[in-house]
Amino acid sequence: MKRLLSVLLPGLLVALGTPTMFAQADSQWVADQSTLTYHMSHPMHEVDGVSHAARGKGICHAGSCSFLIAVPVKTFDSGDTNRDLHMLETTRGAQFPMVIVRAFFPQAETAEQWIHADLDVQFAGQTAHYAKVPFERTQQGKAVRITGTIPLTCSDFKIDRPSFLTVPIKNEIPLRVDMTWNQQ
Amino acid sequence: MIHRLRSLALPSAVILCAIFYSSVVMAQSGGSYSQPSPVQVAAAEPPREIPEADLPNAPLPAQSTSPQQPSLADLGFSTAQTQADPKLQARLNKRSEMLKIHQRLGVITLAPMVANLITGPMVKAKGKNGQIITEPSTANLDFHAAVGGAAAGLYFATASFAIFAPKIPNNPKHGAIRVHEALAFIHGPGMILTPILGSMAFSQEQNGEKVHGIAAAHGAVAVTTVIAYAAAIVAVSWPIHLKFWRKS
Repeated sequence: MKRLLSVLLPGLLVALGTPTMFAQADSQWVADQSTLTYHMSHPMHEVDGVSHAARGKGICHAGSCSFLIAVPVKTFDSGDTNRDLHMLETTRGAQFPMVIVRAFFPQAETAEQWIHADLDVQFAGQTAHYAKVPFERTQQGKAVRITGTIPLTCSDFKIDRPSFLTVPIKNEIPLRVDMTWNQQ
Repeated sequence: MIHRLRSLALPSAVILCAIFYSSVVMAQSGGSYSQPSPVQVAAAEPPREIPEADLPNAPLPAQSTSPQQPSLADLGFSTAQTQADPKLQARLNKRSEMLKIHQRLGVITLAPMVANLITGPMVKAKGKNGQIITEPSTANLDFHAAVGGAAAGLYFATASFAIFAPKIPNNPKHGAIRVHEALAFIHGPGMILTPILGSMAFSQEQNGEKVHGIAAAHGAVAVTTVIAYAAAIVAVSWPIHLKFWRKS
């Protein structure tokens, strides 16, 4: 019995220690650079609106990560003031001035090439949920670059599609995300 | 006694280890990530609970609501950036409404303008033996004047919807709208000058004179005005991407 105990006890200690050894440490991330680009499509126009004003923070804890990214709606620049003001009006951007994205994904994916995040997007006074949106992760020295596209649509946020010559824009307004994150 | 104690303690230690191990593994895996689901809108499935502090109209909290979830206050946006501005929204709504009317009336106005470019030369109809009729036919002149009057009326109505649309402060203009507005300095005076010159030309012809002086520029000013006006419409729509010309 003594012999059995001497064999089992180290095994038990290893079994107890294993999960804590492999558990990832808590980490905090801050967005360093950001480029968010929405794309609007019309039979006569292809428009990209760009903002570099997004800020973000992420916390990884107990095996899961929660990231928050926010950007003022009015910082998107499509190259034409008139169009930007119309966008601000259509998206109720003065009433709801921020686009807020909450991303949730397993902490294990922070070391992989692809992160599949569940997103809650608050925009134009509405919240839409997007499941398993893929983002590519590229290590750039100490920083991590994340790129991907959130498949936003006008109907998700009850946005009346603007029209030109009576033809409305496409429902899809994908938002391209290109952000560089630094661990704190 | 010690042997019996050991025999009881060993299985219970194994069970405790198993429970601890599974709880750690479950905590790491996070159950919500196991089942992929398609894109869902808030109305179809309520999203994960979002702290009240992050709602667009909510005041900024002093600090994070949860140490595990960052909040909007952590990002360092100013209150001016995150606060709702209903007055600005109302101005934007009114502005957009007026500019939509401006856009529609603007396109409609182009029709009588082009019609007048066509009827203009017809007013100077040639006689049977090739000489210019100094006194134009009443029908042609009346039609030309009526269509011109309609064009002018529509034009100034169109302009007024742009001029009186609410201005948005701290919003320097750039892009195609600047070309659109710059062209108004050509077609605006053109729309004032054209009927005046037309009236002068008519008056000279009525007096049996050949149209001369500044009145002779009536046609050229009209053509320049319509070209500048059409260019303004194209400019505000630029860059035009004629995708429907391509096969998908």
